[in-house]
Amino acid sequence: MVNEQVLLMGPRKALVGIVTPAADGAAASPDRPAVMVLNSGIIHRVGANRMTVQLCRQLSQQGVDAVRFDLSGIGDSEPRDDGLGLLEASLADIKEALDTLESARGFRRFVLVGLCSGADHAVVYAGRDPRVVGLVLLDPSIPHTPRYYLNHYARRATRLSSWMNIARGRHPLWQALGQRMGGAGHAEAPEPEPRADLNSPEAKAFLSNAYAAAHRSGNRFLAVLTGEREDSHNYREQLIDAFPDVPFGDRLQLEYHEDTDHTFTAEVNRERVIGGIVGWVAAGAV
Amino acid sequence: MNPFFFGTRQRRLFGVYSPARASAAGSGSKAVLLCPPWGQEYLRAHRAMKQLATLLNQAGVHVLRFDYHGTGDSAGEMLDASLAGWQGDIETAVDELKDTTDAARVGLVGLRLGATLAAGVAARRRKDVDSLVLWDPVVSGEGYLKELLAEAPPRAAEKGGGHEVMGFAMSDAMAAELRGLALPPAELPARTLVLRSQAAGEPAASPGEAVGAWPVERVDGQPAWLEDHHSGAGAVPVKVLQRIAQWWS
Repeated sequence: MVNEQVLLMGPRKALVGIVTPAADGAAASPDRPAVMVLNSGIIHRVGANRMTVQLCRQLSQQGVDAVRFDLSGIGDSEPRDDGLGLLEASLADIKEALDTLESARGFRRFVLVGLCSGADHAVVYAGRDPRVVGLVLLDPSIPHTPRYYLNHYARRATRLSSWMNIARGRHPLWQALGQRMGGAGHAEAPEPEPRADLNSPEAKAFLSNAYAAAHRSGNRFLAVLTGEREDSHNYREQLIDAFPDVPFGDRLQLEYHEDTDHTFTAEVNRERVIGGIVGWVAAGAV
Repeated sequence: MNPFFFGTRQRRLFGVYSPARASAAGSGSKAVLLCPPWGQEYLRAHRAMKQLATLLNQAGVHVLRFDYHGTGDSAGEMLDASLAGWQGDIETAVDELKDTTDAARVGLVGLRLGATLAAGVAARRRKDVDSLVLWDPVVSGEGYLKELLAEAPPRAAEKGGGHEVMGFAMSDAMAAELRGLALPPAELPARTLVLRSQAAGEPAASPGEAVGAWPVERVDGQPAWLEDHHSGAGAVPVKVLQRIAQWWS
């Protein structure tokens, strides 16, 4: 049994992390990346259905060091005191956490894993830090493509409810980031503001640049899209089609899990995605 | 705030200890253990439990919150878990809190299933537990189980059997324990508060609403353990948390 350890990260030690050391007991090696798992929305670091804990422990059994932690203002981590906006705060948190893992534990290469907003944070951060060498993106935000709309309208004939999702144009967990806890006496959650339109030219360019930068810095990608996010994506290659300027090539492993909900609630689906991630990392894909 | 692991090597528990704010009146003379709910309710309530700890600290109370074995960041997997084991975990946490704070006796705050488990511990650890808050308690284990299993698919026997309850495995043994679980209202500490979140639009309480001899106090607020705004997390019901903190100050 591996003993997990608390690690307080960042200059203020305000970011609460749990390290699951590799079960083989080997010391950190510059060649072996550690895996860091990010929050999904405002769910604390154990993850939806406790899947992050399960993932970290299975990685450990395969000789991989894993870390889960809370971004500032989420879970047990304190809010930042520098007034950064939500995205910049998250990116600063990730950098500070990696800095601590490097200085305190000797890790120098990292794979970032994220679901939903966590996937978006991972890919946006990756191009800014050469220590990140691999990305596991579960249901990242992907702009719509012509083929998306073809699929969507074809299915709409038999499923009217999906039309409502498009009309809403909302992404639940991303919205939830607006509910990050501030200081004491936080009010009950307000009605969320509609998020920025993912299909606006600005948003598309921002994401395309993020993927391109992550690719340029040498990252390998494992992306898993679930069938439940029909309002966001509805076919496997949508990630490639949405970012035609990014030459993913064989550095991208892309999967579409048809009968799977966004948080991998069914055990069989959770085992499949965790097994896939562990296999991808442990096989030395990065 | 100090996150740490405690308990035995075989049963390592994750906890977060946060001390009373030194400037509060009567600071540091009281210590409270928070006992969380289970499953999706645990995930959703995490924000509110953390915020409650902060309010209690501001009211001069030391707080320990923790995860049961097989849940959250604690060691173990759900199929290893049992209600008897979780009540043992609450006792371990009571001892840890007493040891950390030098408090002679501590209080318990339990939410949902955590309330029911805490009530059982309070009844058998009268020397150590002098006050208790039952927050939206599960009054009947059998009724709670019925709700949990209503749409829960069975798990394969070769994987340990039981059911999948909204993303969490529940063994048949734990289901049997739940079926027999009930609040022991006659044996609760003399200082006990039973509190129920009154969601907007919910019908008002019937007169004389009570758990055993204990009147139920309704406080306006969304239940912290239900999903709020499809965020995967629950609301932070400020009035409910303030009432609990005020009861202890």
